[in-house]
Amino acid sequence: MSEITRDQVQRSNGKVETSHHPETDPERKDKNYYGIPPIKHAHWTWQIPVYFWIGGIGAGVQLFSTIAQILGHKDDDLTRVSRYTVLATMMISPVLLIWDLGRPERFYNMLRILKLRSPMSTQSWSVFAFGNLSGLISARQAAEDGLLGDDNVLVRLVKLIPARFLSILALPVGLNVGSNTGNLISATSVPMWARNWLFMGPTFLASGLSTALSWLSLVLHLTRSGEEKTLRVLHRAEKAALVIEAGLIAASLVRMSKWSKPLFSREVAPLFVGGTLLGGIAAPMALLFGKQSRSKSLLASVLALAGGLAFRFAIIKGGRISADDPEAYFTFASEENAPQPEDKV
Amino acid sequence: MATGFLTDTTVCIGCKACEVACKQWNQLPADGYELTGDSYDNTKQLSGTTWRHVAFIENPKKRRLTGDVDLVALAEDVTEQLPGGAELDALGRWAFMSDVCKHCVEAPCQQACPTGSIIRNEFDNVYIQPDICNGCGYCVPACPYGVITQVPHDGRAFKCTLCYDRQKDGLEPACAKACPTNSIMFGEVEELKQIAEERVQELHDKGYSQAYVWGTPEVGGTGGIEGNHSKFILMDEPEVYNLPRHPYLPQEKVKGGTIASMVAGAVLGAVVALAFRD
Repeated sequence: MSEITRDQVQRSNGKVETSHHPETDPERKDKNYYGIPPIKHAHWTWQIPVYFWIGGIGAGVQLFSTIAQILGHKDDDLTRVSRYTVLATMMISPVLLIWDLGRPERFYNMLRILKLRSPMSTQSWSVFAFGNLSGLISARQAAEDGLLGDDNVLVRLVKLIPARFLSILALPVGLNVGSNTGNLISATSVPMWARNWLFMGPTFLASGLSTALSWLSLVLHLTRSGEEKTLRVLHRAEKAALVIEAGLIAASLVRMSKWSKPLFSREVAPLFVGGTLLGGIAAPMALLFGKQSRSKSLLASVLALAGGLAFRFAIIKGGRISADDPEAYFTFASEENAPQPEDKV
Repeated sequence: MATGFLTDTTVCIGCKACEVACKQWNQLPADGYELTGDSYDNTKQLSGTTWRHVAFIENPKKRRLTGDVDLVALAEDVTEQLPGGAELDALGRWAFMSDVCKHCVEAPCQQACPTGSIIRNEFDNVYIQPDICNGCGYCVPACPYGVITQVPHDGRAFKCTLCYDRQKDGLEPACAKACPTNSIMFGEVEELKQIAEERVQELHDKGYSQAYVWGTPEVGGTGGIEGNHSKFILMDEPEVYNLPRHPYLPQEKVKGGTIASMVAGAVLGAVVALAFRD
């Protein structure tokens, strides 16, 4: 909203007007009600962007390890790291999500019904299913690693779990955990998010994959484990994922058009331009595309992981600014700027 | 049978009796004393603890008035020419609007709600079951009108219930009961629709060609929302009342977004698989 001083009004028409009405004031072009936001922003605090990031890592790790399994790539270290990583992400995620509820003690109402039209509902069910599957898969892994003791009843029972089959079953559910977070925020009235309904899910998934690959590469490099081929594949896949992520972010900006402005605001630009575009994509790309070395790979992984987190925070904070801007919402909700029912995919 | 509101802003006098009656009947807590300086509006907006809100719009030069300053005559559209065609623009006009939940035909908040707490009750009103809501807050950014809001300290989301309890006892909602000018009308949606059309026609006949109904599938209840059970007769552009002109149902694109994500998942999977080729 443009701030008009009493002096400016007096200069423009010689009279002091008290009204907010746009037609009273020749210098004001915006139409709104005292600059009060016409929609309400989401209350979501830091737990939600952190969940988006962690859930994305879980989804990406599941994708990489399952494809490795399907292609018959044998690497016990990769399998172990992947299974425990997914378990960890799916143990932290519900904690963050329940923490953010206004009535945490009623979290189980999320599983009261299944509503395909509500991404929050499908997300809750996906986390529930993905978490349980990864729990079973990791139990088998723990038994194989000897963490459940030597040959006892429990170990024999757990070793009956068909972990490889469950991994394939968990793949689509995991992918939904990674991409649905994007669809969840775009199915709102917030202009910046809603405009980007086409690319929000894919962008979140691509970003989840690039952070997941970076995590795997970081852990394997730090522990000096993993097959040589695994590291080579990870390196190639990381580069490809970063390129795809950059392309999807560019497409998102085009789709958001002028409603992407909050991403370049003083508050969010350090996270989006600095943290995501430069620190999280351009820098790791430069490191990965150059001559290979362990330290460069480590640094690239850390940067890509931090960039993924910065991206989630930038999108959530930007959405808040977008929702609080009457001008953004009214231009969005006029004529054909909002997505229309008849729009095709 | 669907019930709803028709709020005729042309006869609203800004007394805020509806705000008070709503707060009292529904035992809603006070919002504190804040002097906003925005005309006489110190309530600002609808929230989880304010289910009726009267907007105060000062509108001095919207209609260039020529003639007598007699307010009664003005209200009755009796005008006299001033000598020398002098214009009076110091006399302001007020526009008041008692805002409320729009009780959408296809309600975004209800579709967003993952717990099934938000339902349509037997009166076809959008109703939050407070014993089920777990305060996830997803309905809040889903609402295209900024109605539904989480109440801090309580954690759950609240909004107008269209006085579900009163309707069950055959009473009209507290705000409609309290309204002294019948600006707030309660009744069956189809009946109210007819009353609204007749009133707009009457206003047009009197020369107020700017009058229209907001909350129809053409304006205000657009984009898959299929209209609102709370309609308004407005005399100015929707944005002036802080209402969107062409909102849309956010869930319309869930299917499209999911398909796009599936494609993305397949492409990313293929890229990872290709990376395995030496």
